[in-house]
Amino acid sequence: MSWLLNLYETFESNLDLVGKIEKKHNDQEYTLLPVSHTTQNAHIEVEITEDGEFHSASVIDKSDASTLIPCTEESASRAGAVIAPYPLHDKLSYVAGDYAAYGGEIKKEEPYTYYIKQLEDWANSPYAVAKVKSIYHYLSKGQLIRDLVEHKILYLDAAGRLIDKWDKNAEAMYGAKPPIFSVISGEQTSAFVRFNVYSPTKILTKVWKDQEICDSFIRFYSSRLGVEDLCYVTGRLLPSTDKHANKIRNAADKAKLISANDKSGFTFRGRFNLSHEAASISYEVSQKAHNALKWLINRQGKIIDQRVFLVWANDELEVPGLTEDYFSIDPTPVTTKERISFTNQEFADEVAKALDGYRNRLSSKANVNILVLDSATTGRMAVLYYRNMDKELYLDRLAKWHSTCAWLHRYRKNDNGEFVQFFGAPATKDIAFAAYGPRASDKTVKGLMERILPCIIDDRKIPLDIVTSAYHRASNPVSMEKWEWEKTLSITCALINRQEGFNVALDTDNNNRDYLFGRLLAVADVLERRVLDSVDENRSTNAIRYMNAFSNRPARTWKTIQDCLQPYQARLGKKGTYYSKIIDEVASRIPVDQFNNKPLSGLYLLGFYSQRHELYQKKENHDVVEASN
Amino acid sequence: MRNSIEFVVYGEYALFTDPLTKLGGEKLSYQVPTYQALKGILESIYWKPTLIMVVDEVRIMNPIRMESKGIRPIEYGGGNTLANYTYLRDVRYQVRAHFEFNMNRPEMAYDRNEHKHHNILKRSLQAGGRRDIFLGARECQAYVEPCVFGEGKGFYDGYGELHLGSMVHGLNYPDETGRNHLEVRLWNPVMKDGVIQFIRPEQCTQVRMIKDMEPKHFDETNVVSADELLTQLEEGRNP
Repeated sequence: MSWLLNLYETFESNLDLVGKIEKKHNDQEYTLLPVSHTTQNAHIEVEITEDGEFHSASVIDKSDASTLIPCTEESASRAGAVIAPYPLHDKLSYVAGDYAAYGGEIKKEEPYTYYIKQLEDWANSPYAVAKVKSIYHYLSKGQLIRDLVEHKILYLDAAGRLIDKWDKNAEAMYGAKPPIFSVISGEQTSAFVRFNVYSPTKILTKVWKDQEICDSFIRFYSSRLGVEDLCYVTGRLLPSTDKHANKIRNAADKAKLISANDKSGFTFRGRFNLSHEAASISYEVSQKAHNALKWLINRQGKIIDQRVFLVWANDELEVPGLTEDYFSIDPTPVTTKERISFTNQEFADEVAKALDGYRNRLSSKANVNILVLDSATTGRMAVLYYRNMDKELYLDRLAKWHSTCAWLHRYRKNDNGEFVQFFGAPATKDIAFAAYGPRASDKTVKGLMERILPCIIDDRKIPLDIVTSAYHRASNPVSMEKWEWEKTLSITCALINRQEGFNVALDTDNNNRDYLFGRLLAVADVLERRVLDSVDENRSTNAIRYMNAFSNRPARTWKTIQDCLQPYQARLGKKGTYYSKIIDEVASRIPVDQFNNKPLSGLYLLGFYSQRHELYQKKENHDVVEASN
Repeated sequence: MRNSIEFVVYGEYALFTDPLTKLGGEKLSYQVPTYQALKGILESIYWKPTLIMVVDEVRIMNPIRMESKGIRPIEYGGGNTLANYTYLRDVRYQVRAHFEFNMNRPEMAYDRNEHKHHNILKRSLQAGGRRDIFLGARECQAYVEPCVFGEGKGFYDGYGELHLGSMVHGLNYPDETGRNHLEVRLWNPVMKDGVIQFIRPEQCTQVRMIKDMEPKHFDETNVVSADELLTQLEEGRNP
């Protein structure tokens, strides 16, 4: 199915969440907006009695300002000098009939007449409810500002005009600064008013939270929509629209996914003259699809440098993300020693087990959608990637990725801030840092993330330049701090292992030249480290310092490293024989004709890592034995 | 089927623009080719106003993949803009199609030599088409070769059904319908094991009128008949 149809279906299958306010981790509120509604920050709340008289008014606290308001196509995208009132709650210039009398500046015509006409139509329509009628009765009197001034919400200057901003003169007149001036950033005339109906006897739902009013407006407005046309998304005959939502990624986002204000770029002209000839989309589908998209982005989208990465399933929204590492999917503490002896097959089973939880939650016909959005210019947004795939296939691919691009990592912290070991695939973001350094710009990171997606979803090879770049960084430990290098190393091992399919556990039967060279380097490193640790020296070993040269000219550099090793072997004496034995054993297995200076492939990193890991395991065991003796 | 040909068309990129993304210029490809795009490829292989090409079915051989590129389209008023186009990547389609005579062109009746047209069509396919072949958009160069439909291994073999939602089927041009309108047809294709069976254009129920349009006129004065062409070939002119 097309992405718009899938978004539309997501809206339809989550109708119970429409209008429910949810909070993001940063306490920002978001909600699945109903059709023909939007949110605005209101400044003044006016209570009106059921028979249309002014009751009271108050200035709204900033924390409570966000209000769900009905809107029309025109008002949703109004800008500049366009007069397009919201149907119910709006700015003073629209809702106050006596706006001009109190010094409000009016461009060309009076907005109030448009507003009150629109409200009248609603109030007199068969879809109207009592509350709307009460509000209309009051507002048609055109005395809102007078009442607000009387109730000390708004303030006038000596000439009887609304004060622009709170200054010395005003202070002289009124004393302390009234609350209205602290909630509005601009002038009093720009205040946004919301209305509520007050009843002395009944407890009424707030107007902007009232489902009945919401439905009433949707029905009223859909009865007034334009001509029916074939909707390209659903294939049904429905009232169409040519105005589509912006603010998709955030409130300041002007980019639209569907737009057609373009007469000079000749994007559609030629065969077609007008935009509606090229395509048409129904109002309902456009609203629902865009509202669902905004909601999903707020809920679970990942935004990097304005590029949105979104994964969701139509009926069960939560699916394991593509860009996460295995640890965030299944953060159960892992006992690494056990994990190490795991073969890939066993680990793959583990991953499959973790993903089965998701598998069972998703209904049988659920599809997983993967969507990437970005905009090249401020006005337009493009779909950079869209896939709609069977959930089984998606989870299988995810399991395959996590079990093939896997290595032992130590850079993640758990909830207590302690470093934990985990086995699995690194997060795409971490891959970017491993390949391009920790100061890689967001632009680089988002580009890499988009390139990695097909590797996960389609089980394709990781682009060679990414692996090579990570390999070169991992081969140059002196250029970074220890923890960073360790992180780069384990991630690079994961990337290389994706092609090779090795285990972390040392493969003693492997006679690959590069792998053996890697093992040699590890023994040299561990041997020297042991001496350095015993005398409490913290400098890096020769093996590490020469690592870069070693990867380029292994035979020649190995001679240098071995020369440097001699004093340490001497220092260790008998304790060092164990290491020397390994060196002899490993080196003897490299055929003479291959003991040359041909640069090493990424495989040597696997040999290095596995051998080093093996030695540290052994050493711990060894120490335990010593202690017990 | 009578007058049918089977061919494979492949290319590195394809852009079967979703019309909704065409308006703003940030083009996004449909997941599979439209009837009209395949018909266009057929007409690039061999076209004559005498004939109507009908696409019967398409088999999607490679997995559906997408790749976006930053594009610098030229503004006709001067300068340029920036846009992201999202293409299908590395596509390969097997197509089965046939031609019928265009009964809305009685003036071309003199050219209805079925067997010859069929042979010309097959020869043109053998030669890789008479005109450039492209997949949806001009920058997506493609190649055609004869093949046996259904032969070879496809990615979606045994995949089951994939519902593709509402898609454009194609455009109705006045010379093919007899109505002086340009119309667009929508339909809801379902891909079964990688194969989409197209319904015929006149079977589409979701038809939308776009604008008035007159067919272009063809007759003996501006078309060389198949018979005449054969004579020319025999004489060694017009190779």
